[in-house]
Amino acid sequence: MAKPVLEVVNLSKSFDGAQVFNDISYTVEEGELSSIIGPNGAGKTTMFNLITGHLVPDRGEVLFMGQDIVGKQPFEIVKLGMARAFQRTSIFPRMSVLENVVTTIITREHGNLNMFKAFRKRDKVYSEAYELLKSVELEGMAERQSGVLAHGNQKRLDIAIALALKPKLLLLDEPTAGMSPEERKQTVELVKNLWERLDLTMLFIEHDMDIVFGISQKVRVLCYKTLLAEGTPEQISANPQVIEAYLGEEV
Amino acid sequence: MNWIAAALVLILLVSLPFVLMKFGKIGEYWVWVSTEMIIMGLFAMSLNLILGFGGMVSFGHAAFFGVGAYTVALLMKKASVPFYLALAAAPLVAAIAATIIGWFCVRLIGLYFSILTLAFGQLLYMIVFQWYTFTGGDDGIHGIPRPEILTPTNYYLLCLLIFVMCFMLMRMIVNSSFGLTIRTVRENMERSKFIGINVRSYQWLNFIIAGAFAGLSGGLFAELNRFAQTEFLHWSKSAEPILASLVGGMYSLVGPAIGAAVLMFLKIILQQAHKALIETWAIVLGCILLLVVLFAPSGLVGIYRKVFSKSE
Ligand SMILES: Nc1ncnc2c1ncn2[C@@H]1O[C@H](COP(=O)(O)OP(=O)(O)OP(=O)(O)O)[C@@H](O)[C@H]1O
Ligand SMILES: [Mg+2]
Repeated sequence: MAKPVLEVVNLSKSFDGAQVFNDISYTVEEGELSSIIGPNGAGKTTMFNLITGHLVPDRGEVLFMGQDIVGKQPFEIVKLGMARAFQRTSIFPRMSVLENVVTTIITREHGNLNMFKAFRKRDKVYSEAYELLKSVELEGMAERQSGVLAHGNQKRLDIAIALALKPKLLLLDEPTAGMSPEERKQTVELVKNLWERLDLTMLFIEHDMDIVFGISQKVRVLCYKTLLAEGTPEQISANPQVIEAYLGEEV
Repeated sequence: MNWIAAALVLILLVSLPFVLMKFGKIGEYWVWVSTEMIIMGLFAMSLNLILGFGGMVSFGHAAFFGVGAYTVALLMKKASVPFYLALAAAPLVAAIAATIIGWFCVRLIGLYFSILTLAFGQLLYMIVFQWYTFTGGDDGIHGIPRPEILTPTNYYLLCLLIFVMCFMLMRMIVNSSFGLTIRTVRENMERSKFIGINVRSYQWLNFIIAGAFAGLSGGLFAELNRFAQTEFLHWSKSAEPILASLVGGMYSLVGPAIGAAVLMFLKIILQQAHKALIETWAIVLGCILLLVVLFAPSGLVGIYRKVFSKSE
């Protein structure tokens, strides 16, 4: 069996006494492309916030590559090899599309402290950034100000920023949220391609069932404050509990 | 930047005092004013490292200006340290003050950051105000010696030289990877954390650098006036570079310096036109700010860029 990249152990979280979820445990194995589904407000984004250090759990452990990361700052966890893209797109709006990626690469290479060399002269960083934009099909707008791009393109730039960190584990929070059906299809293709081409483990949150069952190897259902089910798409779509709780209304 | 234009401006600035000096007392007065403009320009540029480039609104930047001024004043008056050494100490002492104050301030963001800078600025002001035996309190420190070689023209040239050197240094900083990093944090602090930037430490470092440059400008200002006063640390002094940055343009390096010079020039013209008119300065300033905020949010440099359609 492959070794675990991410282990979540008995994780619990509440906000002001309102429990979001309780005692959740699961393991993400190396190279896996898996997903988390659940109704609105089930705590999916909260789960990512806990894993990435943005929030601190009430109880439980999060192990990344075997190391306990609870209590670490987001930037420290990033440096260990974890990256995320956001449900509500998060980019650097008044910088060009290319600069969004360039600044990320410079950070990845610990170059932030260099005060003596103009960043525009870092040719290698620029060519890498350009190549990366190609892989998410944004190279045509490299020089555009990123804040004025259409929603779908910003969403892809958000993913490109995460990819620029060359993460071992990539967390995508609803990568197709707010997209047209056409864009959705493209983006799903893109995500799948990236996963096949690059050596990384991916965990994504998604609402669209076709997407989830189409590309994930493993699906986790977050519902009723707990991990209701975990398994292959076939197992999940046949699971009576899941059908009753969650799929019933949608299928 | 256009190198030919820059060279022309520099030649003009260098020859300015020699031309002015031909006009006797009035000319000498304007040399003095021009020197102050350069110093205030440096002060405004230093603030803009955190304001425009870093996205941190500090209401207490005069603290470092004042620390620089008092460093020069105290070292020269009380320890008879030569001017150039005292001047070199000004940015260092200011940087130390910024290291301590900044450590606390960067723990807060947005309005809370601004208010804490204001609080620290006023705290320092009160200390200088109360500590009569050391700082001279309300009286300030007068009679700072002036090296003989520093005639008004020479002092102007010295300030210009230091200004140009600081400008080059700051240009290098904002164009470097570090400069890109602080702009990245300005653009989206949350996202910055998730690309691996230790936001606080870069804001802190930027705060210290800005404080050092402010200290240098304060040192130059003390020698220009040959005194240091509590006013130099007062919060109203902190407002000046903010206004200069707004008018000149926050998203360019030289914008705040231009803004500082333009505002000072207008104020003096007003004063010269009629003594009583200075009472209306607040109104004039208010109108200028209104126009800038409404119609030219990128300031004078923004207007210039629009006219010559240059991008950032
Ligand atoms: N920082 C916070 N403070 C207080 N409550 C929060 C916070 N973040 C999330 N919540 C609450 O926790 C619950 C779970 O939110 P979360 O965003 O994780 O859901 P989600 O599964 O991602 O939903 P969606 O499908 O709408 O994105 C919600 O009730 C939300 O209001
Ligand atoms: Mg969510």
